[in-house]
Amino acid sequence: MSTRDVIALGLAGVLSVSLAAQRGAQQPPASARTIAPRDLTGYWVSIVTEDWRWRMMTPAKGDYASVPLNAEGTRVADTWDPGKDEAAGEQCRSFAAPAIMRVPGRLHITWQDDNTLRIDTDAGSQTRLLRFGPPSPAMNDSARASASQSRSEPSHGEPSRGEPSRGEPSWQGNSTALWETRGGGRRGAPPILTGSLKAVTTGLRPGYLRKNGVPYSANAILTEYYTVTHEDDGDSWLIITTVVHDPQYLTGRFFTSSHFKKQPDAAGWKPTPCTAR
Amino acid sequence: MDRARRVGCIAAAAALAATHAIRFAPPASAAQPPQSVQSGSLVEVANDAMRAATAGVDFTGEWAPRFHEDQPERVPGPELGDYLGIPINASARMRAETWEASIQTLWEWQCRPHSADYIWRGPSPVRIWKEVDPVSRQVTAWHAEWLRSIDRQIYMDGRQHPSESAPHTWAGFSTGRWEGDMLTITTTHLKEGYVRRNGLPRSDQATLTEHWMLHDDVLTVATIVHDPAYLTEPFIRTTDYELDLHQHNPPYPCEVVEEVDRPKGAVPHKLPSETNFETGFAKRCGIPVEAAKGGADTMYPDYRAKLPGTPATCVAAPR
Repeated sequence: MSTRDVIALGLAGVLSVSLAAQRGAQQPPASARTIAPRDLTGYWVSIVTEDWRWRMMTPAKGDYASVPLNAEGTRVADTWDPGKDEAAGEQCRSFAAPAIMRVPGRLHITWQDDNTLRIDTDAGSQTRLLRFGPPSPAMNDSARASASQSRSEPSHGEPSRGEPSRGEPSWQGNSTALWETRGGGRRGAPPILTGSLKAVTTGLRPGYLRKNGVPYSANAILTEYYTVTHEDDGDSWLIITTVVHDPQYLTGRFFTSSHFKKQPDAAGWKPTPCTAR
Repeated sequence: MDRARRVGCIAAAAALAATHAIRFAPPASAAQPPQSVQSGSLVEVANDAMRAATAGVDFTGEWAPRFHEDQPERVPGPELGDYLGIPINASARMRAETWEASIQTLWEWQCRPHSADYIWRGPSPVRIWKEVDPVSRQVTAWHAEWLRSIDRQIYMDGRQHPSESAPHTWAGFSTGRWEGDMLTITTTHLKEGYVRRNGLPRSDQATLTEHWMLHDDVLTVATIVHDPAYLTEPFIRTTDYELDLHQHNPPYPCEVVEEVDRPKGAVPHKLPSETNFETGFAKRCGIPVEAAKGGADTMYPDYRAKLPGTPATCVAAPR
């Protein structure tokens, strides 16, 4: 055995242990919490410097600016009637996963367990659960939806092993999460955690992308990317890129990115119920 | 140390280094791959791992803007008197209230490009490419060029920013560093610009921090402006681009012409007292006048308590 082989073996052994967390390989996998490359936990407040008119206030009926609605989406949006939503007990239609990050408010992010990141919102009092684990079919669906021109490396290197449905459609749906990775160097060097979290959500109850009835369907696929920054002035920002894929109502993918500023504590946390108006 | 022990120590050290690299994407200032890569050498495997851990990501490509946020502001242009959600101070507000849109018909303004902080928000595709040292093959700079802008360079070679007295430009002076796969850029030496195309100024004392983030085929760029002259808090925006392999930025020659007959030396402007918020954008949209005047408190969710519970009354018509 050459010296080079000895080094390679040493590397391979340790790397395989480190990667067990995302590869589900020989060793008991490390938890998502253990290998987290960034700390997303804490209180965050949304800073509304974009789409102010459509987020801070309820937009006028018919004001669908910026949203790539198709004809059917426009037709459905034009039927918006908040009174009907209230009567049907559907006040949370604009607080569902595809829209909640655009709703002005605060987030409280915690680890529910070692492989589940929990996001509570004070606006609408919603709870999202981002579950780490084997990629669901939706992960691949999302990738296909976006991959017509994609040239970046996949976020994980394993084929889908599927995931059973987690019950009835809901406002926050079923979210599968992983830490983004990129491939290594030559000779099959293992992937690297890049620092961001990717989550794909399906199983959504139909709702609104905007409060004035801009619709998404039950077949919508929501893909999100969470990144935390640390600034020289001490600020920390959570940046969430949101991609909604819904051919039923949209002419193409719907992109938004929202930013939240880290808060030192729970000051300002004020849970409120969903409202339709 | 005999050969066997030496080999063992090297292997252990390499393994530990690689473990660290995998579990923790490199923090700030993980700038470049190792300098000495010895092809076929004993340390090549370890260098492979280290290189992968520190090289960042390749943003090269044609990127198409997606106007799914603030389309009415970004494409046709913002409403006069709309300062919603921008942490401006009184000085900025007064500057904006004296702004007259026809100033852009002046020769000096007709071909003026957007500055580095605003250009991401403008109605333009962008082409990004990298400059690679032919010997070391390290990325020494990133370049970004929009439809109507000059080539913007982001230096990755560790150089320092110039002295305060160095020239200020539309692109400013930018240096970058990797934080995992996120490229963090610091820009100084900007000419005076604007944070919104309706007269809200940004001074030449401002600094800009950018974070470039690539997720699958989506590029998200966060821009954070600090401006001691016109902002009371950092001003952050995040903008999305989609990879478009069929895109091509055409030439954009710009010629100065006489657009408006006016006396020589006349500069279009208003007096602050001539701006009437009561009859403008805010009134038409059912937005409180105080909100339309902007300020840091308007960008926090708590400001909603000061807003009427009724829907806005204007519809942004496709323009």
